Amino acid sequence: MKKALGIFIVFILLTTQFVKAQTAAEYQVKAVFLFNFTRFIDWPTTCFEASNSPFVIGILGNDPFGTYIDETVNGETAGQHPIIIKRYKTIKDIDNCQILFINSAESELIKPILGELKEKNILTVSDATNFASLGGIIGFFIENNKIKMQINTDAAKAASLSISSKLLSLAKIL
Amino acid sequence: MLSQKTILLIDDDSDDQEIFSNALKRSDKSVKCVFANDGIHALEKINAEKEFVPDFIFIDLNMPRMNGQECLVNIKKIDKLKNVPVYIYSTSMDPLTIAANKKLGANDFIVKPASMMELTAVLSKLLKRPAVFLSMAMMLLAAIPQKIFAQKTTLPPVSKLKKLSVEQLMNIEVTSVSKTPQKLAEVASAIQVLTGDDIKRSPTTLMPEVLRLAPNLQVTRAGAHDWAVTARGFNGAPISNSSLADKLLVTIDGRAVYNPLFGGVYWDVQGVMKDDIDRIEVVSGPGGTLWGANAVNGVINVISKNAKETQGFTASAAYGTFLKDGFTLRYGSHIDSTFYFRIFGNRFDFNSSNYKNGLSADDKWNMTKGGFRMDYTPKGKSSFTLQGDLYTGNEDVGDSTQINGQNLLGRWKYNISQNAGLTFQAYFDRTWRNAKPDHLTDEVKTLDFDLQYNFRIARFNRILLGIGYRNLSDSTNSGISRFTPAFRTLQLLSGFLQDQITLIPKRLELTIGSKFLHNDYTHFEWQPSARLAWTVTEKNTLWTAVSRAVRVPSRFDRDLTSIQDLDYPPVTSERVIAYELGYRTRPAENVSISVATFYNNYDDLRSIDSTTFINRRVLGNNLKANSWGLEFSANYIATKWWRLRGGFTYMNKKFTYLTTRTIPDDDKFEAIDPKFTATLQSIMDLPKNFEFDIVARYVSKLEGSASRVIPDIPAYFSLDARINWTYKNISLGLSAQNLTDDSHPEFGSPRIEPRELPRSIHAKIGFHF
Repeated sequence: MKKALGIFIVFILLTTQFVKAQTAAEYQVKAVFLFNFTRFIDWPTTCFEASNSPFVIGILGNDPFGTYIDETVNGETAGQHPIIIKRYKTIKDIDNCQILFINSAESELIKPILGELKEKNILTVSDATNFASLGGIIGFFIENNKIKMQINTDAAKAASLSISSKLLSLAKIL
Repeated sequence: MLSQKTILLIDDDSDDQEIFSNALKRSDKSVKCVFANDGIHALEKINAEKEFVPDFIFIDLNMPRMNGQECLVNIKKIDKLKNVPVYIYSTSMDPLTIAANKKLGANDFIVKPASMMELTAVLSKLLKRPAVFLSMAMMLLAAIPQKIFAQKTTLPPVSKLKKLSVEQLMNIEVTSVSKTPQKLAEVASAIQVLTGDDIKRSPTTLMPEVLRLAPNLQVTRAGAHDWAVTARGFNGAPISNSSLADKLLVTIDGRAVYNPLFGGVYWDVQGVMKDDIDRIEVVSGPGGTLWGANAVNGVINVISKNAKETQGFTASAAYGTFLKDGFTLRYGSHIDSTFYFRIFGNRFDFNSSNYKNGLSADDKWNMTKGGFRMDYTPKGKSSFTLQGDLYTGNEDVGDSTQINGQNLLGRWKYNISQNAGLTFQAYFDRTWRNAKPDHLTDEVKTLDFDLQYNFRIARFNRILLGIGYRNLSDSTNSGISRFTPAFRTLQLLSGFLQDQITLIPKRLELTIGSKFLHNDYTHFEWQPSARLAWTVTEKNTLWTAVSRAVRVPSRFDRDLTSIQDLDYPPVTSERVIAYELGYRTRPAENVSISVATFYNNYDDLRSIDSTTFINRRVLGNNLKANSWGLEFSANYIATKWWRLRGGFTYMNKKFTYLTTRTIPDDDKFEAIDPKFTATLQSIMDLPKNFEFDIVARYVSKLEGSASRVIPDIPAYFSLDARINWTYKNISLGLSAQNLTDDSHPEFGSPRIEPRELPRSIHAKIGFHF
């Protein structure tokens, strides 16, 4: 009994001592996915004000990436456009962005946001459940601890985005 | 950008790549490092971009596809690289190799594994920046664990991830603690989920043994082939092949495996191959509202993998001391992207357990099983599953018991919309057992239909309702008549309704509902529950519940021939009112903790009474009980390669005898439970594809009864371990159980010397194509 209690005291101590040490790698990988999308997807030139105006990856609501996303795009460009990250608190804050990531925790926002963005040239990405079937363009989901994608090609068409066949071949198509 | 220096490292070893990149960062942060995995990859990179001219090139010698020397020759042919210094970075110290490479144009030779300090010094010199000694020393410290666990421990730097193709990215395993969406009803209950990986990493082979991983279950093994499993107590006395534990509902892919003859589970035949289990959900506490009768103290749902996830050919063979031998075969394939299937077969033999004096208990057994699963998901809103299996086995209990069974289950799921769905399920199940030494033959045929419908009313009501019909025909045959009537058909009609109401969005949820059922013995029963979950903050949830659940009588309670002619009220349903309070928290991304407490009030528990005039035994409902306890469980991802999970349960109970007719110590037949149990599972991914896993368990003393001749079972601490090595398609494993003692008993039967479980070991080889 004492032995077992000892084990659990150690266990609990462990859990409380080192909890902050590790960060989730899931969003590190997702950040790289977002960056990769700039390589596999074509945006109409009309969605940029100038040939060197920034390519904006927007994050709506709670930011799950921490600094990962900033590290990932640091110094990178999409064609001539330097990639920058913008964080939006509410739907109203969203200005001109090319990729918009919506945190799964903001699932209540998804329907209104998708309605608002329908005709704009914005690649909507989220890890909310059934995001693509709700009308979002790319939905992340996890299968066997691996990140998979679901792509709603109709929604992509509506946003005038052309997605490379390479990316499509790796995703579940809706 | 132009002034930024670039180094090209051509090396197939990702550990070396990482060390190099770390050393480079220490020497000069501004230098960019580009990696290529072999000669061909490097040449592709160099040729792909005209402007790509690194300032330095480092080449490993031993690489697949194109080795370093060939690569060097090719690089020296490229015009734009004419003036780029090339360094050989290799384990080779052979002077002839060094000379040959220098002749081919290599500027210098750096021997691997270079210490981090050396490498940093070399790089600093090249880049003409003084290396800071302190930072190097720090890095040396940091480099040690990185080298040991390089592939799995450290988070890969973003720069490295960016180099991966999308396919490679999709193959990276990510850590996320319980990111799976929780089922609505589970938020406010003491549910614990054993994931496929937890199960795979268990040192044991059989399903009831795997259940020991759930700290809120009490699993006891009475011998080689007899288990009793319960939650929150009431593990009844062992009887032939099973126990009187009857307060847990167990389903395998939606098929209830509860035996109507005595109300328990024959655990020996409930096997799903370990690798095919997707997850096991263990709910402690009443689950009657959703799951039906007999989920008085808990529910176990075993969910097998979709056929899509078991593609390819898998085979394994095991050989050992207690598990004598075991073989599994599985083949999964698909017709197109909508239709997947698998077929499987397995066979195992267990040796006998032993008595304290070391003599064999003669309870060796074997089981042969085959089955299939098909999953069809056409475009549209429907999905279909058809699965089934059949088994046959032989068990020694002094004499030989034969067992066999077959089952077939079909399920249709229809997604009406985002917020509404329909599930229809039907199954047939037959189990047959010729149990010796009682010479009781029992055949149970079950036909079951279930329909479930979920939808929303407004935004704040999620409704789940269902109806079910079950037809059980049970046929017994024995030398002397044990059950009257020998053959009986039981019909069970049930329905349930549940509403999950969002009182305050994202904060307060109330779930109310009830199951209603009609059975042949006690007719109408209802099992309501109310659950409230308060999400204090995003990562902290406080929940509470009150529920009522019943256990309807089994044939053992009503149809025993020995009680038929006695003038005594028939056994009615046992009832419980359970009060629960729990708390779930995730103090950090890698830690989740759950605490659940309960207070249960049982009425009309089965009792063994004596009749007034002639002293004959009869069954009544003259026991009452209160039980209370606490369940703690936690998951902790210590590092990328080390995961810990486990918990403990404390429980206690008090019985009240309602009449003096009830035989003293009768409660020992209904409940022999430890007060304290604890489980800790450690899962480690070591370098070179080694896995090292440990399961430690502690079970406190089981209190027997002198008057009923049920022995005390002393407390025990047990340690299981597993080591596994995967090389390409082959895996080799060694598992050991009960490392801490030669043998120990886990359960005591009345009037029978306890059988003990030996220390055991088995080796396993597996193939996957």
